[in-house]
Amino acid sequence: MKRRTFAVLGAVTALSLALTGCSSGDGESGGDGKNTLTLAGWSLATTPEFKVLADGFHTANPDITVELKEYDPKNYDTQMIADLAAGKAPDVYVQKTLKNFYTYQNGKQLLDVSDVASGLGSTANGLPFYQVDGKTFAVPYRQDSWVIYYNKALFDQAKVKYPDASWTWDDYAAAGKKLTAGLKTAGSKALGIYQHTWQSTLQGFALAQSPGADLNSGNFGYLKPYYTRAVDLQKAGAQVQLGDATTNSLTYQAQFGKQQAAMMTMGTWYIATLLSQQKSGDADKFEWGIAPAPQADKSTTGTSATPVTFGDPTGMGINPKISKDKVDTAKKFLAYVASADAAKALAGIGITPANTDAAADAIFAVPGVPTDEVSKFAFTKHDTKPENPVGKYTAPLQNILNDLHTAVLSGTKDIDTAITEAQDRAKNEVLNK
Amino acid sequence: MTTTPAGRRTRNTLLGWSFLLPNLLGFALLTMVPVALLFYYAFTTWDIFGGAEWTGLDNARQLMHDAGFWAAVQNTLYYTVFHIPLTLVVSLGLALLLNKRLRAVAFFRTVAFFPYIASIVAVAQVWNMLFSPGYGPINAVLRAVGVDHPPGWTTSADWSMPAVILVGTWREMGYFMLIFLAGLQTVPGELYEAARVDGANAWQRLWAVTLPCLRPTTFFVVVMLTVNSFKILDLILVMTNGGPGQSTLVLAQYIYRKGFEENQFGYASAVSVVLFLLCFLVTVVQFVVNRRREA
Repeated sequence: MKRRTFAVLGAVTALSLALTGCSSGDGESGGDGKNTLTLAGWSLATTPEFKVLADGFHTANPDITVELKEYDPKNYDTQMIADLAAGKAPDVYVQKTLKNFYTYQNGKQLLDVSDVASGLGSTANGLPFYQVDGKTFAVPYRQDSWVIYYNKALFDQAKVKYPDASWTWDDYAAAGKKLTAGLKTAGSKALGIYQHTWQSTLQGFALAQSPGADLNSGNFGYLKPYYTRAVDLQKAGAQVQLGDATTNSLTYQAQFGKQQAAMMTMGTWYIATLLSQQKSGDADKFEWGIAPAPQADKSTTGTSATPVTFGDPTGMGINPKISKDKVDTAKKFLAYVASADAAKALAGIGITPANTDAAADAIFAVPGVPTDEVSKFAFTKHDTKPENPVGKYTAPLQNILNDLHTAVLSGTKDIDTAITEAQDRAKNEVLNK
Repeated sequence: MTTTPAGRRTRNTLLGWSFLLPNLLGFALLTMVPVALLFYYAFTTWDIFGGAEWTGLDNARQLMHDAGFWAAVQNTLYYTVFHIPLTLVVSLGLALLLNKRLRAVAFFRTVAFFPYIASIVAVAQVWNMLFSPGYGPINAVLRAVGVDHPPGWTTSADWSMPAVILVGTWREMGYFMLIFLAGLQTVPGELYEAARVDGANAWQRLWAVTLPCLRPTTFFVVVMLTVNSFKILDLILVMTNGGPGQSTLVLAQYIYRKGFEENQFGYASAVSVVLFLLCFLVTVVQFVVNRRREA
């Protein structure tokens, strides 16, 4: 009897240990053989870029296989941080946002890959964002930039001229109002502009384009003209109010794709989405184009100048817990993802690779991509600043500025009060800690 | 085979432990240990990747000057102060109403309970659309009855919290109605009879018989409501995400932001300790008051 009790006890203990995740496991990061690399990705079914890169690398190096490990796109960083802390993360993982690069780099979760970076030269846009104290910790494979998307059919209907490379924000706002009025006359319900709910739609441009603007200075006065203009556009009815966009969970894909708005600013990642949605029927079929982002003043407009915009690179870094004999293979993979070959492969599925110059021909050969001169100019020529600086204050300052964003655009606070308040909070809660 | 009393006792003890262990072990490892660690982390600068540097009361000192934290405390109290009495009254009212012999009473009870089991994300989405200032049906009705400037609800700093409280009450009323219904079954029928003989009207019967008999139930409901209100998170996250501005930022969300968005787990732990103390304090007061009333 007693023996049986102990047997039961033992079995129960083992079971509960297993259930609570305490079973003994090896702390090694994934991958079985020396010739297998594991790579993190998200939404593999709808985000083909990881498979394109893995397959492309395998074709060039038939003895090496890259296995994909899927993560949830919305909780990617939370899950990755947990996996890294637990020693279960893949060999190579993606820097989905630049904002969190600091967390990984400062937490010593990225291997120094300066040797890979020096081999790339200046072909990879966005590489400098991953450099800290002269060392490189990740390599970009895509670099998106914000541009204007516009619907040619709605512009024609409202009898407004297509955007060219000459627009400042005031031109953009004036065109938005003119479009709204013109569309109303033509019997359309579409508005001139759709501005998505994200704080970056205004703050990204304001930080990139305002001379002397610095997030870490705690002076946010540079935001004022951008918010004043947006509030005015909301009041004029030329764009949907922030409150209506959030309460109805509007998506920018539907707003532009279903022709609810004649134009919007958005990152170049939307090119691939729009193409596939027009094919699948999730978006209407209409002719569209892209144009350079509106500029703060005339000094950076026109095709002879370089328009200033923003956008974050997406990069790959190496998990420092990778087994030693695989480090060289992982570095080889990193060099591949930033190469011209990978850039062409990525462009073939509508993605903006970090090596934009090598890929321009490939992307304009994709059926459905607009090939007019302005679109080509917008795609290839820009001075793209990061949405935010890399640093320890970025995440908390972003949260404070997001409160400003919702307060001002909902009409709860005027921009001056909101800026003063945000500056006080930045000082007390973040900078003078 | 031993059958001595001592042997039997050991056997029973072991048997008892074997039943307890699966749950206890999981609870200890996944809840108790993290909670205990939290109190340690509250005094460090832990950022998840090692590096938990002991900083003593630095986190607490910083909390004192953290306007975001105080806004969260204020909003949490705002929610609690209105949500508890409102839910209490509504759920008790529903329970009294549905304790009668009505036609299709089971149907109405189910209807009242339904919000509690519906998915919170879907529910919040639908309420958000109902509240939508420009296109929502709520404001459409208000305009139809002559309100010229209906509130902006979740898009206005003044009205977002009332909107969240309304939905919070709507969601939880069914659950507490069920508890009140169970409590009502324990009220002896003789008491009502006696009250009626004494000439008490319905209102007096409620005050003199029903409510006193329901005190244990009411106490349980109040404690549950208090804890639920203090830790409110899901509803806020999906309905307003703390906005506009900081108008609906609550403590649980502030902890989430500091911890999982800004990776300041030490500081987030310090805020958690404050939330814990707040819950603890209020619950102790409730227990003391309840005991005094019972005596």
